[in-house]
Amino acid sequence: MIAMMLLLSMFDVSHLVYIMLPEIYGFRHFMGVAEDSEPPLKRVKGPLEESKSLPEDHSTAKSVSCSLGDQMARPLTSQGDGETIGSQGVIRKAEFIKIITRALYSLGYDKSGALLEEESGIPLHSSVVNLFMGQVTNGKWDDSVATLRTIGLSDEIMKSASFLILEQKFLELLKMEKFAAALDTLRNEIVPLHVNLDRVHKLASCIISPSQCMRLGISGQDTEGTKSGSKILEKLQKLLPAAIMIPEKRLEHLVERALDVQREACVFHNTSDSDLSLYSDHQCGKNQIPSQTLQILEAHKNEVWFVQFSHNGKYLGSSSKDHSAIIWEVKENGQVLLKHILCGHQKPVLIVSWSPDDSQILTCGQDEVIRRWDVSSGECLHVYEKTGVGLISCGWFPDGRGIFAGMTDKSICLWDLDGRDLECWKGQRTLRISDMAITDDGKRIISVCRESAILLLDREAKFDRLIEEVDMITSFSLSKDNKFLLVNLMNQEIHLWSIEGDPKLISEYKGHKRTRFVIRSCFGGLDQSFIASGSEDSQVYIWHRCSGELLLALPGHSGAVNCVSWNPGNLHMLASASDDGTIRIWGLDHFNLKGGEQSNGSNHHCNGRS
Amino acid sequence: MGRLFVITLEGSVYSCSHCHTHLALLDDIISKSFHCRHGKAYLFDKVSVNITVGEKEERMMMTGLHTVVDIFCVGCGSIVGWKYESAHEKTQKYKEGKFILERFKVLGPDGSNYLVNHDAMVSGSDADNA
Repeated sequence: MIAMMLLLSMFDVSHLVYIMLPEIYGFRHFMGVAEDSEPPLKRVKGPLEESKSLPEDHSTAKSVSCSLGDQMARPLTSQGDGETIGSQGVIRKAEFIKIITRALYSLGYDKSGALLEEESGIPLHSSVVNLFMGQVTNGKWDDSVATLRTIGLSDEIMKSASFLILEQKFLELLKMEKFAAALDTLRNEIVPLHVNLDRVHKLASCIISPSQCMRLGISGQDTEGTKSGSKILEKLQKLLPAAIMIPEKRLEHLVERALDVQREACVFHNTSDSDLSLYSDHQCGKNQIPSQTLQILEAHKNEVWFVQFSHNGKYLGSSSKDHSAIIWEVKENGQVLLKHILCGHQKPVLIVSWSPDDSQILTCGQDEVIRRWDVSSGECLHVYEKTGVGLISCGWFPDGRGIFAGMTDKSICLWDLDGRDLECWKGQRTLRISDMAITDDGKRIISVCRESAILLLDREAKFDRLIEEVDMITSFSLSKDNKFLLVNLMNQEIHLWSIEGDPKLISEYKGHKRTRFVIRSCFGGLDQSFIASGSEDSQVYIWHRCSGELLLALPGHSGAVNCVSWNPGNLHMLASASDDGTIRIWGLDHFNLKGGEQSNGSNHHCNGRS
Repeated sequence: MGRLFVITLEGSVYSCSHCHTHLALLDDIISKSFHCRHGKAYLFDKVSVNITVGEKEERMMMTGLHTVVDIFCVGCGSIVGWKYESAHEKTQKYKEGKFILERFKVLGPDGSNYLVNHDAMVSGSDADNA
């Protein structure tokens, strides 16, 4: 053994590969070693380029489909292979029973599984496959390779499966320090398969460098008898056709897929997946969408132009033509109570914007200043202004350490919390009436840059990309995952754009009314599956995001609905702001709060310091 | 009512005489030789900002029967002119899709109330501008 190690140490790994893998390099005889006349598996001679290889972990995600030979182990026709069940006649009885049997074994009900096989006369696997699985599990590598040949697989699959088994054999021989036998397995059994040559080279290097085994992710644990057999069996299961070795979680997968289909087909779906049941087909009703007025908030003294829930859904911010903004608190029972009235602006307040941690809020006066407020105390912490220029929109850096603002001179400015300029983009970057947003990674600023175009400004690459719309843009909203943009247009349409990569129009929503005002829409519900919008006809409109189907038009307000916001912390809570001076809180039909019509006034904070 | 969606035009601007909302650009004038009941009127290639349109109606004019829609200023709701949807006579087809602004309803470059880059009151509400 020592002599062999010395001999090996005289060569580097590349020489070693030459010694061990003569066939790869086209030598019939190398260093006097004759090629075996009859390797364990039938060889397929062919150029190196044509050799098939498996990925590093030599397991494939999908089962390889292939035409199987006539000699493949199959259930007999007498076992009901041609018989079908179900109303549509598409479910083969034998397959159905096998999948149930497989599920029983997976769940640990071995007796029940065996009983079903016996009673139905339909074995889960053929006797050959059972023999093969037993051999693999018990680490009988040579026997399992021999049995594999009798199963009747395609050449490609048989080679790949043999590779997995023989690789394990090789590693176990290495672990037992049987280097000559390991070398023999590599040269005479693995190499002739012409599979995954890159992996073969790495295995070769394992002989002289045990650390290489660690780098390949091969540890002692992987070579422990039954445990290694089970792991190989798992990998083989992914490789072999499902008809031969039924995948372990097949029944679960089918049921999950059926639930997915039902959920996707359910336009009103707005419940957590834990509510899905196997007992009946899933179908949510309209009662899963907030459609009932639970509260009317009446603290504003004029038209309410904007409303937005905080990120955690525990607060609601609103702004009004009455020059004020209000912070409302959402109690655990769903009741919305007034927390602070924020006074100090000299003009109507256009929007509010919550800090990433919801501890502070920005308010933007129309062509005026931006104020930053503390949510818990209602105190004005800072006033941001620029001489000779009005501010028209604002938002937070994702880290909460700065803010950005759109100006009346069409520039965009970034400030730290103390108002120091960080960056400024001059030129046609924003409009006089303009929405702005910044992605969660802080890399992209999104702004309406001209009447019918949205600018996607990459801060790092200094690269601009445009979304060109068919009509004038009145407002937009960025989805929670930053992948989609909801754009409200002059022509009474709302467009959904994907902004990952090149912008792409996904869907259009129609039905609401808009002729004169800035009307805002939002994403909402489970997985943001719904689109809600205000409308000049005093109603709130709700569409199914994927299908574009108009689901509900909610009457109640007596003036144009300017803005809506869906609570991110409560799938069943929606707020709407209207020209009638009120904010309506919408919820589910069956959920009614008492005293909902009351307006709760307290803690007025006026004239926040400049 | 509501936060008005108003576009600010740049250049030589015609705006609403009542609330000063921008309506059209001098560059878009096709002809100044039109007339209406209240006096002079200008034909514009486009008046695409800050207006809303009324219902279609058939209207007999000096040059024949036309299908028109009245156009209103979004700021104050005043009728400022009309749009030709279709003309019934072949000689008048050139008017289709074009706009008329009544001269006395607008302030513009050729009058004493010439406004350029006017920015006032562009996004208030009806009540502000009444």
